[in-house]
Amino acid sequence: MRTDNIQYRIGKSKGFKILTFVLAFACMIPLAAILFFIIKAGITRINFHFLVNIPRPVGEKGGGIANALLGSVIIIALASFIAIPIGILAGVYLSENKKGRLAYWCRLSVDILQGIPSIVIGIIAYFWLVKPLGGFSAFSGSVALAIMMLPVIVRSTEETLKMLPPSLKEAAFALGMPFHRVIFKVIIPVGISGILSGVMLSIARITGETAPLLFTAFGNPYLSADVTAPMQSLPLLIFNYATSPYNDWHDLAWGASLILLIWVLFLNVFTKLISARWKVQL
Amino acid sequence: MESTIIKSRKFNASFGANHVVKNVNIDIPRNNVIAVMGPSGCGKTTYLRCINRMHELIPDATCNGTMSINDEDIYKMHPIFVRLKIGMVFQRPNPFPNLSIYDNVIAGYKLNGIKLAKAEKDRIVEHSLTKVALWNEVKDSLLKKGTFLSGGQQQRLCIARAVAMEPEVLLFDEPTSALDPISTATVEELFHELKANYTLIIVTHNMQQAARVSDRTAFFYMGELVEYDLTKNVFTNPKDNRTQNYITGRFS
Amino acid sequence: MAQLETELQLLKREAVNMWTLVNSQLSKARLAFLHFDKDLAREVVLKEKRVNGSELKIDRDCENIFALFCPVAIDLRFLLAVLKINSNLERIGDIAEGIARYIIDAEAPFAKELLETSRILPMYDEAVKMLEDTQAAFEKEDTILARSVFKRDDLLDEVNRNINKVLENHLEGQPEHTAQALWILSIIRKLERVGDQSKNIAEEIIFYLEAKVLKHKHVDKK
Repeated sequence: MRTDNIQYRIGKSKGFKILTFVLAFACMIPLAAILFFIIKAGITRINFHFLVNIPRPVGEKGGGIANALLGSVIIIALASFIAIPIGILAGVYLSENKKGRLAYWCRLSVDILQGIPSIVIGIIAYFWLVKPLGGFSAFSGSVALAIMMLPVIVRSTEETLKMLPPSLKEAAFALGMPFHRVIFKVIIPVGISGILSGVMLSIARITGETAPLLFTAFGNPYLSADVTAPMQSLPLLIFNYATSPYNDWHDLAWGASLILLIWVLFLNVFTKLISARWKVQL
Repeated sequence: MESTIIKSRKFNASFGANHVVKNVNIDIPRNNVIAVMGPSGCGKTTYLRCINRMHELIPDATCNGTMSINDEDIYKMHPIFVRLKIGMVFQRPNPFPNLSIYDNVIAGYKLNGIKLAKAEKDRIVEHSLTKVALWNEVKDSLLKKGTFLSGGQQQRLCIARAVAMEPEVLLFDEPTSALDPISTATVEELFHELKANYTLIIVTHNMQQAARVSDRTAFFYMGELVEYDLTKNVFTNPKDNRTQNYITGRFS
Repeated sequence: MAQLETELQLLKREAVNMWTLVNSQLSKARLAFLHFDKDLAREVVLKEKRVNGSELKIDRDCENIFALFCPVAIDLRFLLAVLKINSNLERIGDIAEGIARYIIDAEAPFAKELLETSRILPMYDEAVKMLEDTQAAFEKEDTILARSVFKRDDLLDEVNRNINKVLENHLEGQPEHTAQALWILSIIRKLERVGDQSKNIAEEIIFYLEAKVLKHKHVDKK
């Protein structure tokens, strides 16, 4: 009687182990499929021409994604410029103040912010910035994206700094350093690896965000570097052109998708490399 | 007659409602090594941290009473000036892990934004490392990171970093409890040499260490300063029964 | 630990100084005895204070070193040996003072024949030499020299053993020397004790250097 039960349980255990193995493998499938599909579809469209020209009117051959590339770069750069200082310093505050009302509410807000749908953020940005400023602009797009970057940067900064040994700060204070120097000259340099990977992760996250840009940056068929005017970006271009009825534009969308994919992959690999290289041995 | 450098009068310290240092009166003479000992939780570390105002960095920490250096009230001075005159070495060696040995020694200047000529920096580094008997061991690898040294060397590096600021007093919070016996012996040798130029106050759990290295010993028990006398007297014939019970290993 | 080493060196020097002092006390008492020099004898009595003071200081220093440094092994044995040698030396100092007091109290110099038959002078010389040798053995850490002291005590024991008979015989012929004979008897007893003290000192030196306890062992003291 007992041995029957044991055989059954051993079998069940083996089955379970096999299941976990299979499912882990299965997780790799979507990524593999996406990579394969997009590379296959997009690789033929990419050449130097593709990267430096703006889209042509329908029917004309050629054209490229130059305006979207430049646009993405500018919008993301501006968003980073806004979000990084605020995020890091807020993270510093939270790591310094574990208790306290402001810390509690700040942490709570940041966590909730992380869960707000990107389209809602886009709509809010529309009402806050687009309407008062009288038009779509890259700037409002950057603000929307910055709001999305904040939670990631704040949390990763806070977690990185919390892991630093308190003896580090004590050593700095004991040498007569004022608070701001302790933070900028000791704490942040030692934790730079973790902080930087948090920043990179937030950039990787917003690189592909389309929804917030729909109501803010809006898109622009021409090459423009004016942040107060509407600007094109890669996800917007993909969204618009992939859903259009024109084959030429589909081609552009595929090429753009591949570029976007390469960009995100590159960011992730780059993050891993520099955070390993800049990691300070405690 | 030795001159007094640090004086405490009716000094108290608390963490919120927890009164951990009670009414301490002590006169610490210049160029002496003072050992502060007592069982865990007796307030000795808290008292030490009040001397260079590190105590107030902890939320809810308060203190009152007088603490003065050279007859100047420490709590009326700006904490930064206090810490430039009173350096501290901690229990676990804590050199800055992202800086080289050279930069670690002059960290107090460099990270404070004090600009020095290269020759002056070199002089300070050599002088400080020599004072802690580390110069010969590291002079060829000054640009290596500080964390690649052994525990005893790291602790001496931390002492060099404190000494480089040319303080008058050096505080040590159980400086050898994380070190092996040989490193401990090397650091104890240093105390003897350092006292020529500085006043040393050392909190230690290790009674034998207190007996070996100090000129005077202060015994804390449950927040009070129970006995403070020449080390010789404390260890041959303590005046208070509590002191005797502690050093002979009989509790209560 | 350099601090402990320094303290031990200082203690050693103090012990050697006390040795020298006691040695000179013993030698001076001998000269006073030989030449019946009451002034010299009085010097010895006065200097006894210094011997006592030295003993107190060495005791206190040993106590401090024990308390502060908790020495072990050879350092511990060194301190234990010094502590005991300290009291041995002090007793020898007392004996030298006692002999000096006899000289002061004696009314006339000792008769020459009495001195010769009792063999007190060679005994005295040997006692002084034994003490000097223990000092050299301590300073140079020479266990062979220390061991040689044991054998030499035999001479002192022999003189002490024979003195009763010798004096009995002598006094039969010259009963007027009785008073002096009694002094001489006392001094010989004292010198025998000096020999014993020196032997104890030598045992302590060997304990300190070799960790061998030779106390109360009657055989194999080679």
